[in-house]
Amino acid sequence: MSENKENISSPKDNTPDSNYWKSFKELYQNKSEIDNNASDSSSIDDLSSSGLSGMSRRKFFALIGASAALAGVGCSDYRDKGEIVPYNVKPEEITAGKENFYASTCDACTNSCGILIKTREGRPIKIDGNPDHPVNKGKICARGQANILNLYDPERLKEPLTGGSGFYSAVKWDKADKEIQALFAKANSSGKEIIFVTHTITSPSLKKVFDDFKEKYPTTKVYSYELFNSEVKNSAWLKCYGKGNFPLINWNKAKIILTLEGDILSSEGHKVETLRMFTEKRDVSKPKDYSRLYCVEGDMSVTGMNADYRLKLRPDAQFDFVMSLLNEIVIKKNISNSSVSSILSAKLNNYSLKSFAEKYGLSIKTLNFLIADLIKNQGRSIVYAGNSLSEETHIATNLLNEIISSEELYNKEKETLSLQKLSNIKELVELVWKMKSGKVGVLVHFDSNPVYHFPKNLEYESGLKNVETIISLVQLENESSLYAKYILPINHTFESWGDYKTRTGLISLQQPVIAPLYNTRQKEAIALNWLAQDAAKYQANFYYEYLRSRWEKEVFPVSLTQLDFKDFWNASLHDGIAYQKDESKIAFSFITASLADISSSPKKSEGFSLLLKESYALGDGRFSNNGWLQELPHPVSKIVWDNYAAISESSAKELNAKTNDLIEIEVNGQKCELPVLIQPGIAHNTIAVQLGYGRSKTGIIGVNVGHNANVLLSKEKNSSPWLYSNVKISKTGRTYKLISSQEANDFDNTLTKDAHIKREIIREGTVEEYKKNPAFLKEEKKEEKESIYKVHEYRDVKWGMSIDQNKCIGCGDCVAACNVENNIPVVGKDQVEKGRNMQWLRVDRYYAGTSEEPIVSHQPMLCQHCDKAPCEQVCPVAATTHSPDGLNQMVYNRCVGTRYCSNNCPYKVRRFNFFNFRDHFRNGIYESPVLSLLHNPEVTVRSRGVMEKCTFCIQRIMEAREEAIRNNVPLKGSDVKTACQESCNANAINFGDINDKESEFSEYRNHELGYYVLDDVNTRPNVTYIAKLRNISSEEK
Amino acid sequence: MDIDYSVELPVVEGRPALADIERVIARPMEEKPSKKFFIALGITTTMLLFGAVCLGLTFFYGIGMWGNNQPVGWGFDIVNFVFWVGIGHAGTLISAVLFLLRQKWRTGIARFAEAMTIFAVMCAGIFPLIHTGRPWLAGYLFPYPNQNGLWVNFTSPLLWDVFAVSTYFTVSLVFWYIGLIPDLATMRDRTNNPIKKTIYSIFSLGWRHSHRHWQHYEKAYMLLAGFATPLVLSVHTIVSFDFAVSVIPGWHTTIFPPYFVAGAIFSGFAMVVTVLVFVRTIFNLEHIITLDHLEKMNKVILATGMLVGYAYGMEFFIAWYSGQDIERFVFINRAFGPYAWAYWIMVSCNVLVPQFFWIRKVRRSVPLMMIIVILVNVGMWFERFVIVVSSLHRDFLPSSWGYYKPTIIDFGILIGSFGLFFTLVLLFTKSLPVVSISEVKAVVEGAQPSHHGD
Repeated sequence: MSENKENISSPKDNTPDSNYWKSFKELYQNKSEIDNNASDSSSIDDLSSSGLSGMSRRKFFALIGASAALAGVGCSDYRDKGEIVPYNVKPEEITAGKENFYASTCDACTNSCGILIKTREGRPIKIDGNPDHPVNKGKICARGQANILNLYDPERLKEPLTGGSGFYSAVKWDKADKEIQALFAKANSSGKEIIFVTHTITSPSLKKVFDDFKEKYPTTKVYSYELFNSEVKNSAWLKCYGKGNFPLINWNKAKIILTLEGDILSSEGHKVETLRMFTEKRDVSKPKDYSRLYCVEGDMSVTGMNADYRLKLRPDAQFDFVMSLLNEIVIKKNISNSSVSSILSAKLNNYSLKSFAEKYGLSIKTLNFLIADLIKNQGRSIVYAGNSLSEETHIATNLLNEIISSEELYNKEKETLSLQKLSNIKELVELVWKMKSGKVGVLVHFDSNPVYHFPKNLEYESGLKNVETIISLVQLENESSLYAKYILPINHTFESWGDYKTRTGLISLQQPVIAPLYNTRQKEAIALNWLAQDAAKYQANFYYEYLRSRWEKEVFPVSLTQLDFKDFWNASLHDGIAYQKDESKIAFSFITASLADISSSPKKSEGFSLLLKESYALGDGRFSNNGWLQELPHPVSKIVWDNYAAISESSAKELNAKTNDLIEIEVNGQKCELPVLIQPGIAHNTIAVQLGYGRSKTGIIGVNVGHNANVLLSKEKNSSPWLYSNVKISKTGRTYKLISSQEANDFDNTLTKDAHIKREIIREGTVEEYKKNPAFLKEEKKEEKESIYKVHEYRDVKWGMSIDQNKCIGCGDCVAACNVENNIPVVGKDQVEKGRNMQWLRVDRYYAGTSEEPIVSHQPMLCQHCDKAPCEQVCPVAATTHSPDGLNQMVYNRCVGTRYCSNNCPYKVRRFNFFNFRDHFRNGIYESPVLSLLHNPEVTVRSRGVMEKCTFCIQRIMEAREEAIRNNVPLKGSDVKTACQESCNANAINFGDINDKESEFSEYRNHELGYYVLDDVNTRPNVTYIAKLRNISSEEK
Repeated sequence: MDIDYSVELPVVEGRPALADIERVIARPMEEKPSKKFFIALGITTTMLLFGAVCLGLTFFYGIGMWGNNQPVGWGFDIVNFVFWVGIGHAGTLISAVLFLLRQKWRTGIARFAEAMTIFAVMCAGIFPLIHTGRPWLAGYLFPYPNQNGLWVNFTSPLLWDVFAVSTYFTVSLVFWYIGLIPDLATMRDRTNNPIKKTIYSIFSLGWRHSHRHWQHYEKAYMLLAGFATPLVLSVHTIVSFDFAVSVIPGWHTTIFPPYFVAGAIFSGFAMVVTVLVFVRTIFNLEHIITLDHLEKMNKVILATGMLVGYAYGMEFFIAWYSGQDIERFVFINRAFGPYAWAYWIMVSCNVLVPQFFWIRKVRRSVPLMMIIVILVNVGMWFERFVIVVSSLHRDFLPSSWGYYKPTIIDFGILIGSFGLFFTLVLLFTKSLPVVSISEVKAVVEGAQPSHHGD
């Protein structure tokens, strides 16, 4: 090579060549040099000019032409892939192939988490938490993750509609707005009311819009509601402390936590924040700092599943329990000095923990541990009562917390805010009365669905018939929009501007990341346009201007910034949040008078008690048209695509009912049919039902999925809207099939009982055990088994994952994140029934013990990327192979789909495309063109007949590798974060380089509590599980 | 019973004249097919068509049309494959192994058994292709040089299958064809129909019954018999590797190769008996395919059935003896779990039912043996079902246990494969001699030169 170069640079002789020449260089170069030159350049691809084919150029072209013509004719039916149009003028900010992140705010629930929206070439493809947000700190829940599917929902309304009684036709925005303006004016002038029905108002700017509206049309009234709220609790707090908001709790400082029917880890409060704080106290590196979670509950909740001690108790006996507990603690602590004591003794006399425990079969031993812990950990323990409990239970709980000085755990700097109080049932009854008596001129369903959410006996639906004009602002048609004269399509959050304020000291911004996909407008802008002089002069930036000017006038002055407004605005947009000065020292002083109302003798609780809960995946039903969420297995029951009446085995025996039997539940004359699910661990005579299902009008995905149990809600005064006693149950004799992603556990089968423990799939210990002997798990050191294959040495980066089962609570947020990141299709209930779910990552749930007192374990299960992967040995076409960095890879193009790999996988984590599921599910709704915008362009969309599985987010690994190469630095394990890891609220998942002994990941990889699932099979996995430590009392054996 | 074991029983009963033998065997090809033939063909082609429609639906929509699911990646597809490969075992065993062992009684049944082998392997060969998710890419299973430098994975038993089955098919076909040549020549000489004559002429390769031809023929036949014999063992051994080489409890056992071979001979003989019983009656071949033949085959069925039964027992013993918890569970689950019904069908059909063959009367009673061999066929199909499905449906992680339920499409394709098999059998009986004319002639009494004058 080097010789050749010298030759070229120093031509020896300049005699012109007698042959034809093309350039002077060629003319003056001698022949051998040309040859040398040629061989030089072609040495790379083994060609030499002498070795070239003797075929003439003409013949070559003739052949090329002929074969091209043949190919052209033969393949003329080739599928047209459509046009690919490159950017003519490259937009600022966007580099093709590079993602952009925009900070915004999630509106999937009322917690308003900060989010980062990842966009590629201008389209949002993934949602993650905003790491700069002080509350959710870079994490969001499954609903927030899956919200992106709602943006691209093919059934979103695309045009304003007008009409009625089922017949609607498209109408121009201008025309509709003008007509609506006239209606408002008419209603206002004739003294009739204009009603807005909305969900919780969390946006100060939206509140201002409503205020402006009220100013122009004084007869306007805004009603806000939420199917699940903390109003009962708030009113108890108002009585006890004089303020209507209960404080935020510093869970990460609590040593002892007692929850009473309070599902703090899944549905109550700010789940993301609670989870993070709770799991901070589940850190194996600080075994002395473990918190202990006691759960007293009727339903088997996510929190209960993770409790160190769980006592089952029907929810309507919680008040008696708190009182008995109070009594016991008062006796044990010998309280006599406080002012509370005199009232107390009168109230508590009739309660005795011992007799209570006997009555409800609670373990005295556990109760003694609880009492000892509560007394011992004064100031570091807290009792949390769930939102669904009655007011007096909350008052009693507050008193209990006073006695054990829990206020030290309350957050005294920050508190939650409510911009507008939710309408109570009295106000709603009044609203319906006004509707019925024709006093309502215009009623606007402002992105709400009261027909579905309100109690049936409120008779809201019949009230609607007497309202002159109903307008529904919706993304998807719903039960309430059926009554509307105008159905106006609104933007998705990701197409809208907005701001949110749910806590003191903080306000967050929402910005659009994509232009509206359809002819929709954001709801606030619609309302603003109704206020405008000329509705035809609508501008897309109406609300933006409004928001910005409000921020300039109202937010900027109280913000903690030194910048001028423009910079402040831009900075806030960039960060997604702005800090404000409205912090205050919050003090709590207990008002003893509040105790006057609580009853002083135990109540009788007979018959069945019914607990209505929020759907884990769908919330109050707003997300029912989201296939990913419908298919997310419930963390406890693993049921998909349905709700059910969960009852205990003992109750089922009494009722003579089995799982899948349809029963009729009757509460105060309201009836609902639901399939039975025998749920281990649920209290006797307790039924737990999730609401949010059984939508009669929504998209094709959510319609008629499950049963509408909202009909059980009642307007009548009850201790709590979600809790009913004396519920009647009758069997219908019919059945309805519930589908779970895991086989039902048979507690009585000695063959299958506790298989997960016997097979060392789940390994557990106790904190005490670990403190005594950190290496207790690896007592019997197993020798490394031999393999007939040579052991491959990985010298460079080798990827591995660790999953800390102490932190994992089994919520399934990682599953949702994986679905979005990796373009996982929805398969539908019928296919889950057949065992064909496509989720790459699943959370396995195991029961040990008995059906009445189960011990629950859960384990996220994904491809273990085994060094000695059984799948790789058996694939006949080598479509699954190992990469040099230790990944088990799938080559989709090569896969012929023999499914042999899946059969031979001991972990059964491989997923086969039995159909083109996008085409197969619901008549191909998810193959609509708009859905292709959703897909992550870095991940192949798999076709039918192909095997797939977790890739360890190889697209992210490759991106990090490219980045490292670009910057000429070595690739580090910490450069890559997998989607599941990023989404894990508990930080249970760690990912990194196994060969990097210095890294944080390495600590987990080589942890003394680390183990491999099915170690005996000698697959040598690269996923390490950290054994769970249960923090049970040291006095317990 | 007084049987004189010193005298060899005549292989062909009734000392028929050589010309009669030829006439009887050639008759089906020389007569117009009867109405019954067309009815039979109508039934089998309908079955075939039903299978084809089901297969078409599978190709159009995907494997999801079947019952296969996540833990049970293989269902009827592989069950049918192993079943048909097993059926295909009797032919080569009868024609090659018994030929080498100089078992003269094989002559009456060898041709038919071989033909069944070929048809069964054709049926079997369909399944590895159609069971793939993307059958249009099945070519990837063959090692062919390509620009991408892609090569097949030689550690995969599925690839060994491709070679084993295709080799077996090729050798069986060649062996069968070589054996056919003298008979094709006979047929050529007998027919006057010019079309038939041309076809028989081409395929008889100019056979003139000369000594030289016979000499070459006998050599070639024996060499091929020697060549085919190891294949009898290798094919099902390799098919069993599909399971034995995996890590799944219930599959990962060393007993599989001999157990599979024994099972294959067992099921193959049962199928041969099933079909021969009809053939000998319909074509009046009772004196060529005699009750003695059937009895001998029934004895083989009894012997192999007990081998299979031994394997069933040994599997359980080893599962217990291994001390492996999961292994034990899988076998107990097999016998008492959700698929216990399949297991007990298998045991009763394969182990208990053949025990009746200890009784000579049963061995020699056509209706009784029909019942038994059909049950054996059913039992052997269930054996594969038990192995494939019951091992997969509950393996290591209880979280991914499931239940496999076949769909109508699964049954359709199974029926279609029977349709294909019997269609081919029916067409065979009308186009080629179902019994080897030349070989039977050679074993008929008086055909052999005698030096003792008796």
